[in-house]
Amino acid sequence: MDFSLNAEQQLLKDSVDKYMSERYDSEQRRSYLAAPKGFSAAVWQDFGNLGWLTVPLPESEGGFGGSVVDTAVLMEAMGRSVAVEPYLATVLLAGQLIANGDNATLKERYLPDILSGNCQAAFAYQERRSRHQLDAIDCQLERNGDGYSLNGHKTLVLNGAIADVLIVTAWLDESIALFAVPANSAGVHCDAFRLMDGQGVANVRFDAVQLPRENLVCAGAGSMALIRRVLDEATIAVSAQAVGAMEYLLKATVDYSNTRKQFGQPIGKFQALQHRMVDMYTATEQCRSLLVRALCSNSIEQGDVQTQAQAEMDIAALKAMVGKHGRAVAEEAVQIHGGMGVTEELNIGDYLKRLMVIDSLFGDQDWQRRRFATLRYQ
Amino acid sequence: MHATYSPEERLFQDQVRSFLRNNFNAELAARIREPETFKAATIEWQKKRFAKGWVAPGWPVEYGGCAWTDTQKYIFDGALAEAEAPDVPPFGLKMVGPVIYTFGNEEQKARFLPGILNGDTWWCQGYSEPGAGSDLVALQTRAERDGDDYIINGTKIWTTYAQHADWIFALVRTDTTAKPQQGISFLLIDMRSSGVSVAPITSIDGEHHLNEVRFDNVRVPVANRIGEENKGWTYAKALLTHERTALSGIAYCKQVLNTVRRLAADENDDGQALLASPTLQARMADIEMELMALEYTELRVLAAVAKGGAPGMESSLLKLKGTELQQAVQSLQFDVAGLYGSVLPSTGLAMGHDYGDRARREYMFGRACTIYGGSNEVQKNIIAKFGLGL
Ligand SMILES: Cc1cc2nc3c(=O)[nH]c(=O)nc-3n(C[C@H](O)[C@H](O)[C@H](O)COP(=O)(O)OP(=O)(O)OC[C@H]3O[C@@H](n4cnc5c(N)ncnc54)[C@H](O)[C@@H]3O)c2cc1C
Ligand SMILES: Cc1cc2nc3c(=O)[nH]c(=O)nc-3n(C[C@H](O)[C@H](O)[C@H](O)COP(=O)(O)OP(=O)(O)OC[C@H]3O[C@@H](n4cnc5c(N)ncnc54)[C@H](O)[C@@H]3O)c2cc1C
Repeated sequence: MDFSLNAEQQLLKDSVDKYMSERYDSEQRRSYLAAPKGFSAAVWQDFGNLGWLTVPLPESEGGFGGSVVDTAVLMEAMGRSVAVEPYLATVLLAGQLIANGDNATLKERYLPDILSGNCQAAFAYQERRSRHQLDAIDCQLERNGDGYSLNGHKTLVLNGAIADVLIVTAWLDESIALFAVPANSAGVHCDAFRLMDGQGVANVRFDAVQLPRENLVCAGAGSMALIRRVLDEATIAVSAQAVGAMEYLLKATVDYSNTRKQFGQPIGKFQALQHRMVDMYTATEQCRSLLVRALCSNSIEQGDVQTQAQAEMDIAALKAMVGKHGRAVAEEAVQIHGGMGVTEELNIGDYLKRLMVIDSLFGDQDWQRRRFATLRYQ
Repeated sequence: MHATYSPEERLFQDQVRSFLRNNFNAELAARIREPETFKAATIEWQKKRFAKGWVAPGWPVEYGGCAWTDTQKYIFDGALAEAEAPDVPPFGLKMVGPVIYTFGNEEQKARFLPGILNGDTWWCQGYSEPGAGSDLVALQTRAERDGDDYIINGTKIWTTYAQHADWIFALVRTDTTAKPQQGISFLLIDMRSSGVSVAPITSIDGEHHLNEVRFDNVRVPVANRIGEENKGWTYAKALLTHERTALSGIAYCKQVLNTVRRLAADENDDGQALLASPTLQARMADIEMELMALEYTELRVLAAVAKGGAPGMESSLLKLKGTELQQAVQSLQFDVAGLYGSVLPSTGLAMGHDYGDRARREYMFGRACTIYGGSNEVQKNIIAKFGLGL
């Protein structure tokens, strides 16, 4: 048993921590957000140059072949700074789907550019009625000569507005298939929105979009398994972000309490607040432990059914607790900052917003709790 | 002990409902919610209630109150909630109005009460300062006597809707040598006076509700002082109790719960209506039961007050529990909206979801309700000290 990072992971952590501390304070973050795309092209290029875009992708595809642990190291640092770059959508969702799908042409077409920072991608899988149910969708593929025609709507696609390629789920015959849809295809219409935590999303409409056969990422039973695996790893990744954000909030709140004075003393001297910060600390440590636990069970070979079920349960537990405690920690941080906490002058609200978004993504706490209970008790 | 309505009370309830049907609708509600139309629509709504004589149920009749029993007030609030109609802005009607008719002189009553009632004057509250939040008596804004005027210098912060206000009621320091509580006076200041400046503060819902108000050698006639010099803290404290009682927000919570029920019935949750989820139901039931209790706590407090008791720590209790429940329903509403609760609107584009934006704004700004009006920690300190004898 060893919960420490290996030498390579430690190097990665040192480099990302250093980069974020130099390039990602809250003022810098705001300037990145104000850019037309909602993030800094220069920062994205740095991510590429530093090799971070390659981290989770398999070595066979030119990636670094890192495990969920490596990804978590990166995401935690990004969470600590509430980073707005579309790492999740481009690399962890779309990139992973392409890399782990079975279409060599698509891999060749997109992966080198994704790895070098020259291609933005998105995973379009949710529709207005889906909520967290992956197959509650109406997008439909119809055969059309040698290729297919795609019709339907996807909603709140992360990074959807600026993606060069969208990986879209749609019904093909009786099962769900994954298709790569170049964003500039005729019949793709996109309404761009921003999430409150700075991430870009889009509602996308497909009007008889013509797709050649070779754009099929994966079809049949394999595609659902692939989607689940990729979403599970992304779930761990956003949970790591949440832990980074929670740690930041705890520290910021303790610092503020030691400086803000009321009634002639720092508010941190009031025991009522001290105990609440202790609760924030406990919650953060509990989430870190579940993160470590999920990283352990999800970074080994998924041999038998039992280890696989355990790994899945660990993810559900992690995400449910990160959803619940992440929000609670952020709400407490706001409360203890008093009026300042509810302004945009301080960055505390930015963290609250990110933690709220994380709870809503990939199954909120209620949904994950139910998933856990189903795995555990049924 | 009974809680049934008499025939007269039921008749009254019908009258209130019919008034609301004729004077309030979703279109007006939407204009009140939107920042651009908020002020005008709010005044429009107040004027309708004023025209009916139903704008200040809590005031004594001689000043424009409604002479309602507690039951009638309760019926009225319940009907507002049913109609999803907001209450009128509190700064005039629930805050400075009662101070003026209780502690002001005849001239002040004649001058200020009509505008408060008919909505012509918009008021804001100038208590908090950068260094004086929870510790309000630490306030530093100075008022120095110069003939028939005071000269005001200092900074107020968190002043809600100061950007809309015609007048501000402010606590200022008139004696720096006395004990802090004893050197404070209560002044009414015209926002158009020279030397008053208002700077916006953006809150985490992305909106402009809050402001910093600066006084730079502002001249205020001594005639605008309420009551005696250096007694302002006494008047302010009386008002704070009123304010806290006004903050319980039960009607608002009911409105949101109604909305949540409607919305959750239409949301898919793994193939079922979200409303059928046992987790969601348990959560709603918990909130609803607390709310049922709080409703009766409020009625018990009102009944005691009607018999001549002064609301003391009970007003802290109402504020404490009421704001906790507001946040609970706001979280619930946010969760039911799913990821749509996090989407910022984009001009000219339909989000494809009609309550996510509202869920987000209400959740975000709602984080403040346990901070303003005396934070919940401060309320707990009050109950511990004065209520429980700790
Ligand atoms: C089942 C049991 C087994 C025990 N076994 C042993 C043993 O083997 N050997 C031994 O030496 N002792 C033992 N103890 C004693 C135990 O350590 C004391 O009960 C404990 O330290 C609390 O002291 P107290 O009972 O005097 O309560 P108090 O100290 O009077 O505390 C009363 C309450 O006030 C709270 N409180 C006290 N100070 C503060 C503060 N500064 N801030 C906030 N809250 C505060 C406490 O948390 C508690 O809730 C045992 C006690 C129990 C109940
Ligand atoms: C949305 C909003 C609207 C407002 N509108 C107005 C307005 O119109 N007019 C106006 O005058 N003011 C207004 N306020 C100000 C409000 O009254 C203050 O924010 C509030 O009193 C808290 O003061 P503070 O922000 O300085 O926080 P602080 O007093 O610095 O408090 C910070 C934290 O410390 C806690 N704390 C402080 N003292 C203690 C203690 N003794 N024990 C335990 N915990 C403690 C607080 O509860 C809080 O969690 C508004 C505030 C907000 C957020």
